[in-house]
Amino acid sequence: MAVDINKIDEIISSHERSEESLLSILQSFQRELNYVPEEGIKRLSESFGVPESRIFAMATFYKALSLVPRGRHTIKVCMGTACHLKGGGLILEAIERELGVERSGTTKDMRFSLETVNCVGACAMAPVVVVDNEYHGHASPSNVHNILKKYE
Amino acid sequence: MEKIKFIIDGKEVEAVKDQNVLEVAQENGIYIPNLCSNPEVKSSGGSCRVCLVEAHQNGRMRLVTSCNYPVREGLEVKTETPLVKRIRKGILELMLARVPDAEVVVELARENGIEEPRFKKDEGDNYRYKCIACGLCVQVCEEVVGVSAIAMLNRSYEKKPGTPYMKPSEVCIGCGACAYACPTGAISIKDQGDTRKIWGKEFKMHTCSVCGKPYIPEAQIDWIVETTGKDRSFFDKCPDCR
Repeated sequence: MAVDINKIDEIISSHERSEESLLSILQSFQRELNYVPEEGIKRLSESFGVPESRIFAMATFYKALSLVPRGRHTIKVCMGTACHLKGGGLILEAIERELGVERSGTTKDMRFSLETVNCVGACAMAPVVVVDNEYHGHASPSNVHNILKKYE
Repeated sequence: MEKIKFIIDGKEVEAVKDQNVLEVAQENGIYIPNLCSNPEVKSSGGSCRVCLVEAHQNGRMRLVTSCNYPVREGLEVKTETPLVKRIRKGILELMLARVPDAEVVVELARENGIEEPRFKKDEGDNYRYKCIACGLCVQVCEEVVGVSAIAMLNRSYEKKPGTPYMKPSEVCIGCGACAYACPTGAISIKDQGDTRKIWGKEFKMHTCSVCGKPYIPEAQIDWIVETTGKDRSFFDKCPDCR
């Protein structure tokens, strides 16, 4: 996938040139490009004089940053205690089957990225599936299809 | 160099202020098991937690990692109490389950009375199964070598050292300091003929003009010449023939 070098340079130059801005630049990459591109890490390393390995390590440390392009919608399947007991694992399997994608993967058509989280604080609605920022409570393997169909 | 006195295992010893407990213990012939600290690497230590000791001061006791705990006047250190032994045994048991292939960990665990961990062992032949994720290789690469070709990647259970994208590094000079420093021998370095392979990258080795032995990567000579201004001809002969 071609990355827009101009966009990368634009993001870098809109931040102060100090090591403290590294993380917020990586966040900007994530926000505007939907991932942290390899080229972005290279450019950052060159213009900040910080070793590429250290920036790459930062990008792997934070779960909010992704090294591969994310889908248009993010599905979070709750794996917290309550959801786990109510069958969160089955929901996850059902979504994996429905979309043909593994946990922390992205569908080929870039429609969905699937991830698991360890509690979204809505245990009364367990099991919970969060798509983008919409909460879907009392999910079941059979209504997974209905939950997902409205997201394009 | 302010000298101070403190007590270790009931014996009064003299040390320089801010020296670490482990170092003073070793100078005084007291053995404290340790893995991740290296006196040549200032930023090292404090992560494997094998060198735990009891530190008594001002009527209070704490368990501290002796490799980075500075000695102070009035400190009393105990290295072999039932508490230290129990906690150390627990740490080694967990570590053994994590890196069952690391000979040094197997040996340390055995010394502390563990043949088999109660936990499920990690299996596989990946280097991660020897790596205790202490970060010493990364510290050496940054602080001693100065190239920062590797860094600690990921987090928690997945934490491991590596190059960006796990691809051959553009800045690695093939010196092998990371593999040399690694306490568990987790980093693969292979010298074959005049080629060295490390971190998935191949390096051409420079041959000694006297004995004909390949002994240093060309890239490392370039780096030394560039950073220290040393004359390139210095590297014609290997250290044994100089």
